[in-house]
Parts: sequence; structure tokens; C-alpha cells
Amino acid sequence: MKIVLVGNPNVGKSVIFSYLTGYTAVSSNYPGTTVDILKGKTKLCDRECEVIDVPGCYSLEGESVAEKVASEIIKSKDYDIIFNVIDSNNLERNLLLTLELIGLGKPIVIISTKTDIARNKGIDIDYNKLSDILDVKIFPVVATAGIGFNVLEKEIYAVFNNLKLPVPKMEVPSDITEKWKIIGEITLKVQKIYHKHPSFLEKLEEITTTPVTAIPFSFVLIVMSFYLIRFIGEGIINYIFDPLFNNYYMPLVERFSSLFNEGFLKNIIFSKNMTPLEGFSILTTGVYVPFVVVLPYVFAFYLILSILEDIGYLPRLAVILDRLSHKIGLHGYGSIPLIMGLGCKVPGIFSLRILESSREKIIAASLLFLISPCMPQSAMIFAILSKYPLIYTVIVFVYIFLVGILASYVLNKILKGSSNDLFIEIPPYHKPVFKNLVFKIRLRITQFLLDAVPFVMGGILIINILDIFSILDLLSKISAPFLSKIFSLPAQTSSIVMLGFLKKDVAITLLTPFNLSLKEIMVSCFFLVTYMPCLASIFVLLKELGKKLTFYVIIFNLLISLVFTFIFSQAIKLFF
Amino acid sequence: MKINLAKTNYKKLKVVQINGGYNILKKLNSMGIFEGAFIEKITSYHHGPVIVKVMNSQLAIGRGMAEKIIVEEMS
Repeated sequence: MKIVLVGNPNVGKSVIFSYLTGYTAVSSNYPGTTVDILKGKTKLCDRECEVIDVPGCYSLEGESVAEKVASEIIKSKDYDIIFNVIDSNNLERNLLLTLELIGLGKPIVIISTKTDIARNKGIDIDYNKLSDILDVKIFPVVATAGIGFNVLEKEIYAVFNNLKLPVPKMEVPSDITEKWKIIGEITLKVQKIYHKHPSFLEKLEEITTTPVTAIPFSFVLIVMSFYLIRFIGEGIINYIFDPLFNNYYMPLVERFSSLFNEGFLKNIIFSKNMTPLEGFSILTTGVYVPFVVVLPYVFAFYLILSILEDIGYLPRLAVILDRLSHKIGLHGYGSIPLIMGLGCKVPGIFSLRILESSREKIIAASLLFLISPCMPQSAMIFAILSKYPLIYTVIVFVYIFLVGILASYVLNKILKGSSNDLFIEIPPYHKPVFKNLVFKIRLRITQFLLDAVPFVMGGILIINILDIFSILDLLSKISAPFLSKIFSLPAQTSSIVMLGFLKKDVAITLLTPFNLSLKEIMVSCFFLVTYMPCLASIFVLLKELGKKLTFYVIIFNLLISLVFTFIFSQAIKLFF
Repeated sequence: MKINLAKTNYKKLKVVQINGGYNILKKLNSMGIFEGAFIEKITSYHHGPVIVKVMNSQLAIGRGMAEKIIVEEMS
């Protein structure tokens, strides 16, 4: 039995998918979270079922990437039954797709979600009547709370055992305006909207969409978010992870190291200097960097991001940033990959899919690598500059930001064509569901740990081995003239630059043992953040953009980085 | 008049014409904006997107696309 889940974007398909299959799918409160096709096997009513979660689409004739993918699957008719998921807050708009699906002549049932929210808003839908008119069974549910699923399951059971799958007999016109006419008539018959006083969330919606209030609000919110991320991140480091590491973990490592005789093996594991961040030991620095310095910030970032996502703020931010984004060749939705990229580049690159043209993808990808240092990098910049006044950290970030904007402004002028227009649905605000939040943050942190920890530890091990065999010195001598003449950086940093290709955040931390001056730290931070994407993101980019475009993006990136590192190093010489 | 010039007073506006090509027409149609549809203008950004209410949902439409939607006020 093959089931396809079809519905408009942001109606809660992912939640239904998770519920039916037990698999986990990420859901957020903005259109386009699922661009991939998710498949899950499950047992429904003692039957093996395959559930396919199709990307959200408004119509089978849609033009966006997600809609084309969706309509291809749906029109193939290679399935037994359609579960059409509709949002009860938006019955009329959702019914267009429903009519198109009914027109296909395949068995279909309708799952109506967010019924609790609709009721609170004064929307009253007569599901029995609607079911009669459409000749389709309808199941109202509250997916996030799991209400209504027992009825659904019982029904599925009956349907499966009858082996008579419900094919609706309704006549559907092919013209879209005719369809809207029928939908208008149906909606009049089954839906009543009672006037209710606007709730707190509805008032907030108005405040955050009306420009006069929305723009200052977004500014305050962004500044607050950054402060909160630093506050939470630092708090966890200073009061929990750092004490734990120093008081419990380090003594263990020290005792363990005393079991070894001096020699090669001991050097490989513990390096010449065991103090975390000062030597290249895989057991001290290799654990301290990912878990104590980076993890707290990654957690703090994803906590804030996930809350903003689930409330539904991001599309509003996209609207505010729209005009600005057009100047650099994107529309407002292009800011979403950049925001994701502040956590980690990899999900940032994945979310490039919400952009339609390859022109936009190239610009957003270039901007992503230049403008948004991922959380591990940011955390390391915070850490390495924490000895100095905050202003130096700010200077580094502002410089990164300005260079990114400038670079994509240039790119926008070079590339042919112009940016598309923004065209998105703005979802109503939702209270975040605690369970969903916990799940999402856990998923993202697990991904970070699986992706980053092996790279960090491996990178530190490699550097340590290079150090032991004095290859570091050799590399330094070769590249010394280049680095010192052009960027005024000490020669030893060359090995770090090489390592940065593997994992950039490690590279930044590993500057500490070299005792660089403040100027040198600032310049190398900028260079290391911008000069090249890390290995993981290159792999993903290859998959998303193909060889040729990936190559262009990387070359552009390197060029910009070299030029502006040079300018930065000269400017710093002038001002300090 | 073009929708970006309409007042933002939540009054009903009737879409009388869409001056777009095939793609834009399709995009707008599938979201419920078609000739003869009723929409409301909620707000608009200076040289930026126009936000409208269509049926029961809010849509942000980029300035270029918004200028192609011709509406008339309903008294």
C-alpha cells in the first residue's frame, strides 16, 4: 500500500508524516521546510505501508522547484491513495489543490489540521457537509497534540479491509477561475467565521508586519538574539562545561598520561603541551574545542533559531529585508539560507533550494560563504578575542559583513538577469510546541556532533603529527614570504591555513599556541573565515549546484578573500 | 489602479486585471489572485513588497509583481 501525503506548504504535513511513520521530519512555521521527498515505511492497521511526504504545493500546475517535484510524483499516479492535508484556517485557498487532486480520479481522504487554532479564531467548518459535497472522507485533527488520529486510524482500517478505496465522483472543471468559483460557493455553504477580538498573537502579527513598527522591532529582536546567544553560550561554558572539564576530565587525562612512558606514542596522544588550546593533544584540545567552546554556542544558536522558526517570524524578516536584498540580487527569502548558515553552512546550503533561479543560488551561496561565519567559527572568534575589549570582535564581524555585501553587490552587477520577485505566504504566529522544539534542537545538535567532532579531533591529530615530524616548520618556511609580505602574518600560520580547509573553527582555535598579536589575530580570523568553504560544505554544494557552479563560487570566494584580507591588514596597520 | 497605489484600509478590492506573463499569472492564480477575485491590502513597504490578504491568508508580493496587479475599490 503506497500513500502520498499532499498539501499546501506549511499545513503540517511533516508532523502528520512523523505521526504516521514514527520517522522524524523537521517542521517549522514557514513555507518550504520540506523540499526533499521523504519516504517512510510503517505498519498501519497490520498492513505494510509506504508513506511518501511530497513537498508542499499550492497547485499541481505550480512553477516553483518544490511544486514541480510534487506535481511529477502526484501525476505519475504510482500510489494507491492520496492523503490530502489541508489547513482548516485556510480552507478556501487549500481547496484548489483538493479539487485538482479529486480530478485525478485516485482514491483520496482529507486530513484537516490545526483545527484548534481555527476554532480559537472563530472559524467554524461543517466537515460533514463538506465531506458530502466533495464526496471525500475528512478527518479533523490537531496534529501537534495527536488529537483525532484514533478516528483516522479506525477509518483507514475500515477502508483497507473493505479493499474499496474511496474514489470521489465529483466533476471538476479544468479552468482555474472556474475552480475558484466552485470553491467560493462551497466555502460559503460550509464555513462560518465569527468575529472575535484579536488575540495577543494576532496583535503581534500586525505590529510585526506594519513597516513603521516592524522595522524597529526586527532590529531590536536581532540584536537581542545575538546577545542572548552569547549570554547563554558563555553562561554554559563558564558555569558548567569549563568547570566540569577542568575539575573532572583533566585530572583523568593527567592520570592516564602518567601510564605512558615518554616517547613517540605519548607525544602523538598527548602532544608536547597538554594544556587545552595550547598544545595539539587530541584528548585535551581535541575534546575542549568541540564540547566546551563550541557546543554551548551551537546549542544557544539553535535554541533561539528554532523558537523564531516555530513562532513564524522568519517570513516576516524576509519581507523586511526584501528591498535590501534586491540591491544584492536576491529577494527577501534569500536571507533564510544566510540565517541558517550562521548555525552551520551545510543546512544553509540545503535551504538554497527555496530559491528558484540558479542566479539567485549562486549569489546566495557566495554570500553564505562570505558573510555568515558558522556558529563554531563565531564561537572560536569570540574565544580567541575574549582577552581583548569587545570592540575588536565587533570590528571583525562588521568587516566580514561589509565585505560580503560588497562582494554580492559586485556579483549582482556581473551576472546577467535580475532578481525574481518575492512571493510568499506569511503564516500566522503559532505558540511553539515544546515537544517539537526539543526534537528539532536535539536533531540539529546531533548532526553537529556527528559532523564536527570527528573533523575537529582528526584535524588536531594531523596537526600534532605534522608538528612532531617538524613538517609544520617546513610548510611555514615555504609559505612564509607570501603570508608575511602580503598579509603581515607570521609564517607558522601557514599550516593552520591548510588545516582550515578541513575544519575552519579548529583552525581559528589553533592560532592560540602561536602567540599572535591582536592585529595578526584579527587578520587571520577574517582570512580563515572567508578564504574557502570547509570540506563538508563543498561536498554539499557540489550536490546542490553541480561541479561548474561550485568551482566558480569557490574561486570567487578565494579572490574576494585574498583582496580583502590584504586591505584589512593594511588598514589595521594604519589605524592601530 | 495598481495595487501598490491602493489605500491600506482593509477595504475590499476587486482584481480587474493582471498584466503578467504566463508564469506570473499561474503563480498568482494558484494563490487565489485572479481576475474577479476580492482581496484586501494590509500594508506595503516603501519601494518594497506589498502585503495582501487573500481569502484567509496573508501574502507578501514583491514590488515588481505587485505593480502588475490592477485593482478597483469596492464601495
